[in-house]
Amino acid sequence: MDVAVPTRLKRNRLLPYWAVLQADLKATFNSWLYRFWILLAVGVLGGYLLYRFGAMRVAGMLQSAPEALGEMLHWVVYGTITLIIALTAGTISSEGGTMADSVLSRGISRYQYFIGKWHARLALVLGTYFATSIAAMLGGYFMLHSDSLTLHGGFVAILIVASMLLFVVTFAVSVSAMSSNTLVSIAVVWVTLYGGGFLLTQLPGSIPSPERALQSLPDVMKGFYDWNSLAQTMLISVGVSTATAFIGMITFSRRDV
Amino acid sequence: MAEISSDLVVETNQLTKIYQNRQIALNDVNLKLEPGCVLGLLGHNGAGKTTLLRLILGLHRPTAGWVKLFGETMTPNSADLRCRIGYIPTNPQFPKGMTPITYLDYIARLFGLPAEVRKPRLASLIRAVDLLGASGDCVDNFSNGMIARLAVATSLINEPDLLIWDEPTLGLDPEARRSMLELIKTLARDKTLIIASHNLGDIDEVCNHAAVLSHGHLIYFGSLQDLKGRMKRNHYEVDLEGDQKAITKAMTALKSMAEFKLVNLRQRRLELRLTDDANNTSALANVFMTLADSKVAVISIRSVGMQTEQAFLDLVEEEESRGFARAYKAAA
Repeated sequence: MDVAVPTRLKRNRLLPYWAVLQADLKATFNSWLYRFWILLAVGVLGGYLLYRFGAMRVAGMLQSAPEALGEMLHWVVYGTITLIIALTAGTISSEGGTMADSVLSRGISRYQYFIGKWHARLALVLGTYFATSIAAMLGGYFMLHSDSLTLHGGFVAILIVASMLLFVVTFAVSVSAMSSNTLVSIAVVWVTLYGGGFLLTQLPGSIPSPERALQSLPDVMKGFYDWNSLAQTMLISVGVSTATAFIGMITFSRRDV
Repeated sequence: MAEISSDLVVETNQLTKIYQNRQIALNDVNLKLEPGCVLGLLGHNGAGKTTLLRLILGLHRPTAGWVKLFGETMTPNSADLRCRIGYIPTNPQFPKGMTPITYLDYIARLFGLPAEVRKPRLASLIRAVDLLGASGDCVDNFSNGMIARLAVATSLINEPDLLIWDEPTLGLDPEARRSMLELIKTLARDKTLIIASHNLGDIDEVCNHAAVLSHGHLIYFGSLQDLKGRMKRNHYEVDLEGDQKAITKAMTALKSMAEFKLVNLRQRRLELRLTDDANNTSALANVFMTLADSKVAVISIRSVGMQTEQAFLDLVEEEESRGFARAYKAAA
């Protein structure tokens, strides 16, 4: 083996982050779990819309678009959350051993690796969610009784659910960075999210909870919402997610792989 | 070894790794590697070789002590330091669905190499390791030899100053193993290498320094020559030529000498084993004189046994036999 020895050049310090982000996007996009999630989401959303459309046209059963879409978004959170957890809670923990060695032994810091992985999963989950929910919103607008559906209300409703998913993905990736076992990560994230969500519903109504936010979606889509209060809730979600990611990143940078 | 720390490629000080307060993987390891050193890392399974390599790479954090590379402390976030290392893990694995080109491109991007550098470099490396014909094939279907060659290309993509190769000849056929050893010799001309291997013949051939680990403790660190020098050479084979009667006569004379505990003749090969207190120079001089007196010619003479292997085994045995006395040295 005759090996050429080229000259050393300056590094592009952002390139390792992009490499991890692109590789993870591609790998997740090609995974059977992601494809299953897409199929399930598209199948159920499409099926539910057609069912409501058929019920309206054939039996004359009217359900307003905000009510139907609110139910659908509710379902997105509760129905597919386990799949989203399975898709994200193994982000880092599933790449232990030689596979992680072959990446982390190169010119990349743990911070860059974590952020690259986190952003890749966020982009994929939120991108998919936005695409399917906007398609459902448009479908609902044209196929259902949509007199009361407002464009800005629908957009805000989508943002509310997105802010919840932002925390779910961030928390799952952070736990996977702290654990060496994917099954343990999935169990911890699942129990914490469902348990935490349930506990929040037991608190006084003045304290925001995911369940109360989801129940308010039909009204939000009709345009009945307090923007300041919702913006505050979403900002809290972004803040908590950022803090969670920071803890996950610091922990990951201090542990053995 | 060097006096000035900044001249060292690798320096470890009281390096200790304890996993979850359950397993002591490495205990108080002090190493100093100068540029150009080719270090053979020896030890039984579980001796701590891979742990030491992972600590040097910053994949693990030391429980105590520190590792410095090129004068700077290695941490999990020392990306700049790792840019100067080329690493091959034991049994390298590659992500599914990648080809040698996409994999090398990915690794080169992890080193932050811009496209105008990494593209020509990966192309020349793929050609150098004879993977040109398989450059578009999926790595999932590669043989052990092809995986090893791709791993070599991967470890050289960043043009490293220090190469850390964990069991590079494991699972290779004789031809591929020979190529790998020749490559190591070539790279050793201008790079520092750490080679962990169970194959002591490989270490013997390519390394100039050795570090021996036993149960996580560094029991030897120095030149390979010194390691072999510790072993008393007392077993020789001599190929003879001459009349059978003359050889038998010489045999009888040699058997009467007190310096030999074994004198054995098979065909025309004379096997000699010296007593522990015998001086091998004078004993061999007596052998030559006896053979000359009997008019027997010597075709060749060689020391029997793998010298590095024997030295390694002697060293480990010596360490084991010290028993609790080892604690005394550690405390000193």
